[in-house]
Amino acid sequence: MEIIEDPMIRELKETVKNIRETSIKNLEKLLQRVGESFEDNDIEFYIAETGEEANNIIYDIVKDEKTIAKSKSNTLTEINLVKFLEKKGLEVIETDLGDRIIQLTNDKPIHPTAPALHFNMEEIADTINEKLKVKVDANPEDIMNTIKSDVLRKLEDVNVGITGANAVAAYDGSIVMVHNEGNIGLLSLKDTHIVVFGIDKLVSTLEDAISVAKLETVYATGSRVPSYIGVVSGPSKTADIQKILLKNMYGASRVVAIALDNGRRKAPPECLWCIGCGTCITSCPIYNVVGYDFGYKGYLGGRGVAFTNFIEGERASFDAGIYMCTLCSRCTTKCPLEVPIADIIEEVRCKVQRAGYKLDAHENIKRNIKETGTPFR
Amino acid sequence: MDLIYFRGCMGRERVPEIVRATRQILDHAGVSYSILEDEECCGSVLLRTGFREDAKEKINENLNLFSDSRLLVSCAGCYRTFKIDYPRLFNVKVDVIHSSHLFYQLLEAGEIQIKGDLKVTYHDPCHLGRHCGEYDAPRKVLEAIGTLVEMEDHHMNAQCCGAGGGVKSAYPHIAEKVAQERIKQALNTGADILCTTCPFCKYNLKSHRIKVMDISEIIANLMGVPRSTKIN
Repeated sequence: MEIIEDPMIRELKETVKNIRETSIKNLEKLLQRVGESFEDNDIEFYIAETGEEANNIIYDIVKDEKTIAKSKSNTLTEINLVKFLEKKGLEVIETDLGDRIIQLTNDKPIHPTAPALHFNMEEIADTINEKLKVKVDANPEDIMNTIKSDVLRKLEDVNVGITGANAVAAYDGSIVMVHNEGNIGLLSLKDTHIVVFGIDKLVSTLEDAISVAKLETVYATGSRVPSYIGVVSGPSKTADIQKILLKNMYGASRVVAIALDNGRRKAPPECLWCIGCGTCITSCPIYNVVGYDFGYKGYLGGRGVAFTNFIEGERASFDAGIYMCTLCSRCTTKCPLEVPIADIIEEVRCKVQRAGYKLDAHENIKRNIKETGTPFR
Repeated sequence: MDLIYFRGCMGRERVPEIVRATRQILDHAGVSYSILEDEECCGSVLLRTGFREDAKEKINENLNLFSDSRLLVSCAGCYRTFKIDYPRLFNVKVDVIHSSHLFYQLLEAGEIQIKGDLKVTYHDPCHLGRHCGEYDAPRKVLEAIGTLVEMEDHHMNAQCCGAGGGVKSAYPHIAEKVAQERIKQALNTGADILCTTCPFCKYNLKSHRIKVMDISEIIANLMGVPRSTKIN
């Protein structure tokens, strides 16, 4: 039996649908509430209206560092954090294996949870040998171990870890992060842990956040749970010596949370229900023949190109392939949230078209219909 | 109530064999209907490609033409547009039936009799299946004709033919690649015929590797012919 047919998972899906719909409906309230909760929990909190704002907040924190490290995160990709920090002279280490391979090859990811799926073993080994000046055979274990040792060595001198989040509990002030590699655990234990998340990641409670993270894992990987679901609700602390509160025990002494709007408030609610599992991408007939050219940065497939419109505008969603979708809705039937992607794309196409981004083929058809009543000449 | 057979742009101009076959069946079954000589676009292609205002103009004109008639359509795109978009945009209810549904009714009522021993696989058009929930009528017709074998992905999971949403006109090479994936699935069934119920699908799935037919053509071919006659 496929895991998504499991009655408990079906129930979880219904629960999460309800959580996501309610959360997006109450977004403003949750955003206000999470600020209060973070304050209670000693987490510094910022709301960034744009990617640039988020980058500047981060830079202000890391400007004295030489090297920082990050996890895989579509939100960090969205704001171009790596390029931004590199321009400022910082070195950024990708800690996710797939992302690290992509970083070394200067390519872009093809799937939100499996970014380097498109490289064969020889290509990866060649790249590593060239970039890390090693001699690794083209087998997965050697590749993994080589990259692991290299990243771990670099992490020794890193004071700041930057991650995304899969869900954020507004009433508890808790940040939930899903990972299998253990890299987010390492990053969250650095002196400073910075978390950047889209405002659409907000839910009410930690229980809700865990439900979202679990369902995302099921749909993204086919496994019931990931190896790790990390929860951060404040800096590392202890009161073991005469009940005196001391911060900075093993983990971060400073936790910074940045909620990113970057156009999300302009998006229709349904577009924000997404939990980022990537099911719409793997089920998309167009993505399966076109690949990441049907997408923008980490936002791939139909939902990705539609979302692109809200975060980056008409031109970007046009370039991302807003007209490549056949509106077949296979994604919607596979999506655990049943996001009506084709409807959203139709809406976005109207905006994009009005802004002057259209295709000659469609323009001709429109003209033909107007003049002769038929699309064809 | 008057029945208008709304042929659709594809039926009128690209795959007239579907219109021909459909009219043969209607005539054979004694269904009275009319054709609009001045039939124009249903609005679908405009709606799908971001030209909503232009579509609304066209739809307004069409609504005057149809008055209270019942519409029969061969195209899944027309069907979705009449069924979902007309009410959504103009708060009107359009009485529309897809040809595959009418054929099933005629078959059930004994108005047409068909028998065959064909092995057929069925491609769900996205606009008929996923968008409107119509999966059964075409399958029941095909089961009456012979053996229906399903592809790997069918019903709600059916793969798209690749033509929809303006992709065929703007990105023909992508539409073609998507079609090839679907053809592979059809070939894997070992079926003699890949049947569909949408002219866009038929047009885009056209292949030299398997015969692709609209359901109307299969019926028209088998009506009144000896049981064992095979379609070439």
